[in-house]
Amino acid sequence: MQIELNNVHKTYEGAQPLHVLKGVNLSIEKGEFVSIMGASGSGKSTLLNILGILDNYDEGEYYVDGHLIKNLSERAAARYRNKTIGFVFQSFNLISFKTAVENVELPLFYQGVGRKRRHEMAMEYLDRLGLKDWAGHYPNEMSGGQKQRVAIARALITHPQIILADEPTGALDSKTSVEVMDLLGQLNREEKVTIIVVTHESGVANCTNRIIHIKDGIIGEIEENREHKASVFGTETIMK
Amino acid sequence: MHDLFTEVWESVRRNKLRTCLTGFAVAWGIFMIIVLLGAGNGLMGAFNQGGDSFASNTMMMGGGMTTKPYKGLKEGRRVRLSMSDMDLLEKEPFKQYVDQVTTNYSQGGYTLTYGKLYLNNVSLNGTFPGYADMNRIVMLAGRFVNEKDIQEKRKVIVLSHLTAKNFLKGSTDYARLLGEKVKVGSFVFKVVGIRQGEENRDDRDLYVPYSTIKTIYGLDNHIDEMTFTFHGLNTEEANEAFEKELKAAVNTAHDAAPDDASATWVWNRFTQNLQMEKGSKILHTALWIIGLFTLLGGIVGVSNIMLITVKERTHEFGIRKAIGAKPWSIMKLIVAESVTITAFFGYIGMVLGMLTCTIMDKTLGQSSTEVFGQSVRLLVNPTVGLDVALEATLVLIIAGTIAGMAPARKAAKIRPIEALRAE
Repeated sequence: MQIELNNVHKTYEGAQPLHVLKGVNLSIEKGEFVSIMGASGSGKSTLLNILGILDNYDEGEYYVDGHLIKNLSERAAARYRNKTIGFVFQSFNLISFKTAVENVELPLFYQGVGRKRRHEMAMEYLDRLGLKDWAGHYPNEMSGGQKQRVAIARALITHPQIILADEPTGALDSKTSVEVMDLLGQLNREEKVTIIVVTHESGVANCTNRIIHIKDGIIGEIEENREHKASVFGTETIMK
Repeated sequence: MHDLFTEVWESVRRNKLRTCLTGFAVAWGIFMIIVLLGAGNGLMGAFNQGGDSFASNTMMMGGGMTTKPYKGLKEGRRVRLSMSDMDLLEKEPFKQYVDQVTTNYSQGGYTLTYGKLYLNNVSLNGTFPGYADMNRIVMLAGRFVNEKDIQEKRKVIVLSHLTAKNFLKGSTDYARLLGEKVKVGSFVFKVVGIRQGEENRDDRDLYVPYSTIKTIYGLDNHIDEMTFTFHGLNTEEANEAFEKELKAAVNTAHDAAPDDASATWVWNRFTQNLQMEKGSKILHTALWIIGLFTLLGGIVGVSNIMLITVKERTHEFGIRKAIGAKPWSIMKLIVAESVTITAFFGYIGMVLGMLTCTIMDKTLGQSSTEVFGQSVRLLVNPTVGLDVALEATLVLIIAGTIAGMAPARKAAKIRPIEALRAE
């Protein structure tokens, strides 16, 4: 079991404490391509943040490859985020004053890879994603789909075991969304990377092999979706 | 290092105006430190003017007035030193500290004649060989009075180069005068040396052996003062103890109470220097403090601007953390930026400050005022040395680090989840 959550609780403290996750139990195998689906406020983003060690949880256990991820030091968390997990965000989260290739290089910089070597690797990944000619461009000079591919290149460059994608198609049109989901599916098949996609779009979820429904902070139905026929709207395209 | 500075440069470039405005305050602070220290050095230099014409380990002793009755003698008696007091210094317990003992007899109003040339109203000094060292007399030709002159009471004389120039009709070939005969009053002396005279007081004093002058003018054994160099007295306490002991010995020799402070006086160049140095250090420290407080304004400005930078870059730092930046790598970015801004503008301030010091040296430093007939320079060499530049560099780096520390810690504490939300 690559990812295992046992009875994970999360409450956002505040004037009105918000109990977001109410005991999540979940296991994801190595090399799976799953989606976590739910309406807004269902706790799916919180769950993803906990999976990505961007946020803490209050109760329960979370294991990655059998290692308990709980109350990690900032340094240890940084190491996991750098080496084990790759992120793809809805708003791409590229650094605006860095070019595409510099953005892709950044995780390697934090691994201490030399300048020349990481530039070569970044160019290689951009080439694989068909963005070689855009390497010197800044994010604001690129389309949404291009930006998301740069972000995917950045997530892939450290050879992570897990890629977490938070609404990866949220800011893209339907055509580009299909391309991005195809790309993620291809990576899952060819590189055997575990990919977890959080989405509220059934069409997006339909591209994955397993759909985990989350509702009111609890895991609901888990659909096997090998045939990719889960969504009435999702069989042909992604509805926007 | 290269990557770090690329990042810093990128960040600074995006905020040129605000970086420059903040940097100005830092530059101003360092500028003030340099200019203040330069002016302070110039002031101390002016105080010390002429001070370097004496050997620093010199003491001078003279007679005064008794204030205590002793051995049946009433107070209010004048004490005059005599030649035997000089011998006292060559005996225990003073012998181990004292090097050379001299005295000087000075009498003005003589006429110096060389062939048909003459010079009115010059002072004649009866002296000892050690006097040259103690008063840093520089010989331009020939020699100063020596031991043999004293023993044999030779009629030899040392002239000032200003006098020599007159006698040579403007030539500076002083050696030509050596061996020549000159007359002081009605006595003939042989010129054995030409010394460097002090230009600013038209110094034409004549030096002849003390024993010679004593015989010629029939002086008694009394002397006005005795001057001696010493060694091995390195602290103020040691000097005080020595002075006390010496006074007691001399007082006793003159039938004055050993603890009578006014019967004799001692002027100690060494302790005076020590006190001068202490004063100089206090001034130096005070100027540093004023300068540092001025710099503080700049530092607060840098800290403030870094806080704004951190706030603006929260989202970016969130991204960096999400892809594996350790807190330290984020802190490094901010501290490096802070140090870079401080050091860069600090250096501009330092260069401008040094330039100002040089201008000060060229203008104020060259002007002088007439005080009691002597020209006194207001500032002597009002510049700062390399040591101050190094100290200021250190101050800048420390200041930059301090200024960046709080914002950097804030940046490092950013939680990626919150940073990513901030858009």
